[in-house]
Amino acid sequence: MAQFALVIDLNTCVGCHACATNCKEWNTQAAFGPLSDFDPYGANPEGVWYNRIMTYETGEFPNTQVFHLPKSCLHCQDAPCVPVCPTGASYKREQDGIVLVNYDDCIGCKLCSWSCPYGCREFDEADKVMKKCTLCIDRIYDETLPPEHRKPACVLTCPARARFFGDIEDPNSEVYKVIEERNGFVLFPDMGTNPANHYLPRIETKINLEEFEKHILKPDNPLFLEVMKRHHVSNKAPQEKQVEEVG
Amino acid sequence: MHPPLSLIFFFLTAGTSIGLYIFMYAIEFLQLFGKGQGLPKEVILKMGILELILIGLGAFGASFHLGHKLRAWKAIKRFRTSWLSREAVFSGAYGVSLLVYLALNQLGANPFFEHFFGILTFVLGVLSGFSTAMIYASNKFVLEWNTSITVIYYLLMYLMLGSTLMAYFSYLYNLPYLGTFIFLSFLFLALGLGFRLAFNIRQFYLKRPTMNEALNLPHNRPIRVIDTGSTTDNYCTEEFYYRKGKEMLSTVIPVAYLLTFVVPLFLVLYAWITGTANTWILGLTYLFVLVGSALERWSFFVEGNHVQNLFYSLYPEEGYRLRKGYMERKETKISLY
Repeated sequence: MAQFALVIDLNTCVGCHACATNCKEWNTQAAFGPLSDFDPYGANPEGVWYNRIMTYETGEFPNTQVFHLPKSCLHCQDAPCVPVCPTGASYKREQDGIVLVNYDDCIGCKLCSWSCPYGCREFDEADKVMKKCTLCIDRIYDETLPPEHRKPACVLTCPARARFFGDIEDPNSEVYKVIEERNGFVLFPDMGTNPANHYLPRIETKINLEEFEKHILKPDNPLFLEVMKRHHVSNKAPQEKQVEEVG
Repeated sequence: MHPPLSLIFFFLTAGTSIGLYIFMYAIEFLQLFGKGQGLPKEVILKMGILELILIGLGAFGASFHLGHKLRAWKAIKRFRTSWLSREAVFSGAYGVSLLVYLALNQLGANPFFEHFFGILTFVLGVLSGFSTAMIYASNKFVLEWNTSITVIYYLLMYLMLGSTLMAYFSYLYNLPYLGTFIFLSFLFLALGLGFRLAFNIRQFYLKRPTMNEALNLPHNRPIRVIDTGSTTDNYCTEEFYYRKGKEMLSTVIPVAYLLTFVVPLFLVLYAWITGTANTWILGLTYLFVLVGSALERWSFFVEGNHVQNLFYSLYPEEGYRLRKGYMERKETKISLY
C-alpha cells in the first residue's frame, strides 16, 4: 500500500524557514485553510503552523554542531491520533497513507493532539478545529498543475533542496532510495508510531588541507606555476617553507 | 498539561451523581435479598432528581471544552476505538436509564423492570467513570497517567464523593444507614489517599525518555534547544506545558491532599468515634472532598508531562546515567499495559 511522506535531509537543511513560510502561504488560502493568526503584527504574534523548524545544538564547546529540524505531521503508519478521535474526523487515507482531519466532523476536543508524541497537531482557536499538515493533498492530486508542481509547497520552495516527497513503500521512488542509501531515520522510534516522514542524518564533512597541499604542489601539476605565484604573493611563512623544499 | 476547567467541573458533577446513585441503588438492591429496609420513595425521588441534574450539568459543562458544542452528538461514532466516545455514550445512557428507573420506581410499576433499569443504570454509571479514567490512563504519551492506578483512584474518588454525600443525606433524612456510610466514607477516603500517594510515588520511578531518544540521536551526546522556530509560545507549548501551573504545583498538591483526604478523614473519624453526627460535620466532609477534588484534578492535569515537550526541552530532565563506568541506556519502551 502506498505511503506518501516527506524525507528531509538534515545535512543540507540550513534552517531558513522557507518551507514553513511557503506552507503557511499556500495552506492559509487553499482547501484546508485558513491557518489563523492572532496579533500578527503585535508584540506576541501567535498562530497555526503546519510546519515548525526547531534548531538544536549537539556536542560540547568547542566541538559543537548545530542542526535544524523541520517538524510537520509525520503521517505515522500506526497513527495514534486516529483511533482516539471520538467522531472519526481524524482519519488515515488507505490509498496514500495521508492522515487528515475532516473539519466538518471535528468537535475540537483536542484529544488527538494529546495522543501525538510529536506535537504536530495545532488547534485553530478561530475555526475551533484541529489542524495539521495535509502533505498539500490539494496540490499533489491537482491535474491542472504541471506534473513537476504536484508536490507539497514546502518541497517546491526549499532553496537547499533538502526536502523530498514520494511514496516510501515504492522501491523505485526517489524517497525510498535516499532512505536506503543514506540511512534515513525517524523521530521517537520507541513510541511505536512508525512515522512515515524520515530524516537523513548529518554527515560530517572534513577537508584535509595537508593532503590537498601535498597533491597540488607537485611539480608535475600543470597548475604548479600558478600555485607558486599565488603562494609568493600571499607571502605566508609555512608556504614559503614549502616552496623552498620544492625548489 | 493545561487543566481544562470544564473537565474538572464534569468530574465533580458526574462523580457526585454516579457515586450517589451507586450507593442509593445498592441499598435498594440489598433490600431484594432481605438486607436492610430500602429507602423511602420520596428520598429516592429527591436524590434521583439531584443525580439527574448533576449529570445534566456535567454534560453541559463538559461541552465547554469542545470547539463545536453542537456537534458533540457525533462523538458516538467511534465507540469501537475511542474512550472519549465510550464515555460520551455511557454518560448519556446513564442519564436516560436513570430517568427511566426513577419513573418506574415512583410509579410502582413492575419491580422486574424497575430493578432491570436500576442495575443497568448502575453498570452504565460505573462504565462511564471507567471510560473517563481510561481516556487519561490509555494515553501512553503522558507517562504519569499511563497506569492502572489512575483508573482505580479515579473510581475511588467517585465513591468518596458518593459515600460522603450519602452519609450527609442519611443524617438529613434520618435514614438507618448513617453508621454504614460513615464507615464507607472512611474506607474510600483511606483507599483514595493510598492510591493517590501511589500515583505520586510512582512518578519518581518513571523511566522517562530523553531528548536524544526523541530526536533519535546517540544517547550520550549532549543536546540543547537553541530555537523553537517562533518568538512566542504556540499551541503545543501552552497546551502541553502549563508554566504558571508548574510553578504553583508544589503549593497546590499539599493543599489538595489536605482538603480531599486528610481533613475529611479526621472529620469522619471524629463523627465515628465520638458518635456526634450532625449537619455541620457531615456537610463539611462532603464540601471538603468536593473542593479538594477540584484541586486534586487540577494537580492531576498539571502533573502530567507530555513527551512532545521533549522537542521544546520542557520535559523533566532525567537523561542517561553513569553506572559502573558505562553509560546505561534507559528502558524506554512504553507499553499500554
